[in-house]
Amino acid sequence: MNAVLLSGLLGVVMMFASFLFRTKAPVRILAILGMAVLLVANVLDTKGIHFFHVNTTGFLSFTGYALFFNTIVIACTLIFFLISSKDMQKVGNHYAEYFALIFFILTGIFLVTAFTNLLILFIGIEIISIPLYILTGSAKKDLKSNEAALKYFLMGAFSTGVMLMGIALIYGATGTFDITKMNIAGLLKSNLLTAGMLMLLFSMCFKVSIAPFHFWTPDVYDGAPNVFTSFMATIVKVGIFVGFLHLFYTAFDAIALQWKIWMAVLAALTLLVGNITAVFQQSVKRMLAYSSISQAGFMLFALVAMNETAHEGLLLYAIAYCLATIGVFGIISKMTDYSFDGFNGLAGHQPLVALCVAIFMLSLAGIPLSAGFLAKFYMLKAVIQAGGYMWLVIFGVLMAAVSAYYYFRVIQAMYFKEGPNHFSGISAFEKCVLVGICVLIVFTGLFPNIIFGWMYF
Amino acid sequence: MPINYYITLALCLFAIGVVGVLTRRNAIIVFMCIELMLNSVNLLLVAFSKMHHLAKGAAATAGTDGQLFVFFIMVVAAAEVSVGLAIIVMMYRNVHSININFLNRLKH
Amino acid sequence: MNITQLLFWLLTVIAIGSALMIVTSKNPVYSVLGLIVTFFAISGHYILMNAQFLAIVNIIVYAGAIMVLFLFVIMLMNLSRATETLKNKWLQIVGAIAGSCLFLVLIAALKNTEIKKNLVEMGTGDIGLVKSLGRELFTTFVVPFEISSVLFLSAMIGAVVIGKKE
Repeated sequence: MNAVLLSGLLGVVMMFASFLFRTKAPVRILAILGMAVLLVANVLDTKGIHFFHVNTTGFLSFTGYALFFNTIVIACTLIFFLISSKDMQKVGNHYAEYFALIFFILTGIFLVTAFTNLLILFIGIEIISIPLYILTGSAKKDLKSNEAALKYFLMGAFSTGVMLMGIALIYGATGTFDITKMNIAGLLKSNLLTAGMLMLLFSMCFKVSIAPFHFWTPDVYDGAPNVFTSFMATIVKVGIFVGFLHLFYTAFDAIALQWKIWMAVLAALTLLVGNITAVFQQSVKRMLAYSSISQAGFMLFALVAMNETAHEGLLLYAIAYCLATIGVFGIISKMTDYSFDGFNGLAGHQPLVALCVAIFMLSLAGIPLSAGFLAKFYMLKAVIQAGGYMWLVIFGVLMAAVSAYYYFRVIQAMYFKEGPNHFSGISAFEKCVLVGICVLIVFTGLFPNIIFGWMYF
Repeated sequence: MPINYYITLALCLFAIGVVGVLTRRNAIIVFMCIELMLNSVNLLLVAFSKMHHLAKGAAATAGTDGQLFVFFIMVVAAAEVSVGLAIIVMMYRNVHSININFLNRLKH
Repeated sequence: MNITQLLFWLLTVIAIGSALMIVTSKNPVYSVLGLIVTFFAISGHYILMNAQFLAIVNIIVYAGAIMVLFLFVIMLMNLSRATETLKNKWLQIVGAIAGSCLFLVLIAALKNTEIKKNLVEMGTGDIGLVKSLGRELFTTFVVPFEISSVLFLSAMIGAVVIGKKE
């Protein structure tokens, strides 16, 4: 509960910061400090020190898993602030408001990871979505940003409608919104429940851009300002994913036969669509949008497997995917040309930055010794343990091999081609942050047990 | 009334909303169709809440959660409308059209 | 057929008719009016089920506030003329067929549901009154109630960030 209340309060503080400070630097420092405080508060919460004693009347339950995941989310957002907060100034005039919206989105993510009632799931997803519509459209003069916001908004609202219909049908069948009291096992043959569950499944798939509900993703990620694409493609996506896993693990495990095959087919389709279209992209930003779809396909493996390993794997995936993608976007938002040709010869102009990009790409591709490899390994292992979906595992390995092609294309452009410098410069501090992210990625890849040690202490 | 009538009515309104979203090109009308979908959900939730109240006659508060969910849907819809109309107005200022057929500049 | 059933069918016909008007009318102002009529019909249904609080809130919030906002925007943009280009007839036909299929599939699936004979309580029962809903809202549901304030704060910031002229 510490994190939920504090992030809401910090959002309000950031709202007031916009007219307390005339310059941008204090606002930025305040936001970074606030995020650090949030991190400390959440870690204390994990240790059993609660600042607020709220009777949640059965609406929220903060399990160790949820709290540990929240710690990851906050840490990733802190890194995101450290590397990208300066670039947010380029987007528009409302600098402090952007930070406030990000704090509010974090509140939504904390709710979505800890809900025990469909009402909280609905409110949490809306608290995530509404600020995201705003952030997508925050570059007001940019037509692409406008269109992305309108598109995202209309499709998001539509999927919310479908989700609510699903919740209503589930309520009709079970008589409660509490996912722990639904007594699903007694309703195996209920058409109402099945229809509602499928509608809920499809709308959640939409929110995390699973094919065939992914069609908004490339356009919205491409149109939104770079810094905010970085945030919503990583932290928001894994946040909703944990909610998705929690929902199906807690509520619908008893009727797993009805939806597991859907999950497996959706995961395979997502991998196929994401990887094949990513191969044909000319802009690195758009390539990353499609690669985020294919990574979502891998994360969906957790919902096919539904066991302990899948839970651990999703955590690792969150760390690996968020760190690498935030790092790449941090660099992209400092480039003037973000097509593949823009990266030509980057190794000659900026050797350190190019090395970092190479490590991020290797991790995203899942090369051994990186966090990305371990995350993919855990996902595949979870599905093998669950049994019965061997074809999905083989297909996943195949698609991971395909994905290596477009990640290596960036490395090839940087190291083996010549080109003019499109990089607009980077401060020494940001270089340190980049190196820090690389160290974290390699460290997680080498010693995953330390992470799990923290989780189960 | 049997619950079947309410389910049919709500699904009918929901389907009309979906058809509107799929066929209309005017962003505001698409948005209104989404509001219609939300309202059909509200109607269904109220009907279910009264059904569960009747079924569990003993408990006085059985079914209130359904009606309170409707209240929260209205809360969220109000917030969503304010943001959505702001986005539509911003779009109109820049391109002087709210026809979503124009939404293809993003595809290269 | 008693008075409740008569009112039910009357309100149903009004609701579906005006909902069709939203989708089919060329002029956006007519669509708004259709939506307002639909909201009133749905409020009528709430009153039939003795959900008085929601009936009033539906009229105040939806028909009162939200639809006025819609009308304002339409007037502001001067969209009252039929400006919509009917470029792609096929897309519309496909959309209509897809929507009807969704409806038919859902109806077919839910026609024989296990609760189809269950009755809805009409006109009696006090769970829909302000007193009982208010008590629940401020005791059991106080956590989501407070949390939804975050939603409104972000919507407020959104209106400022997006609406303000630079």
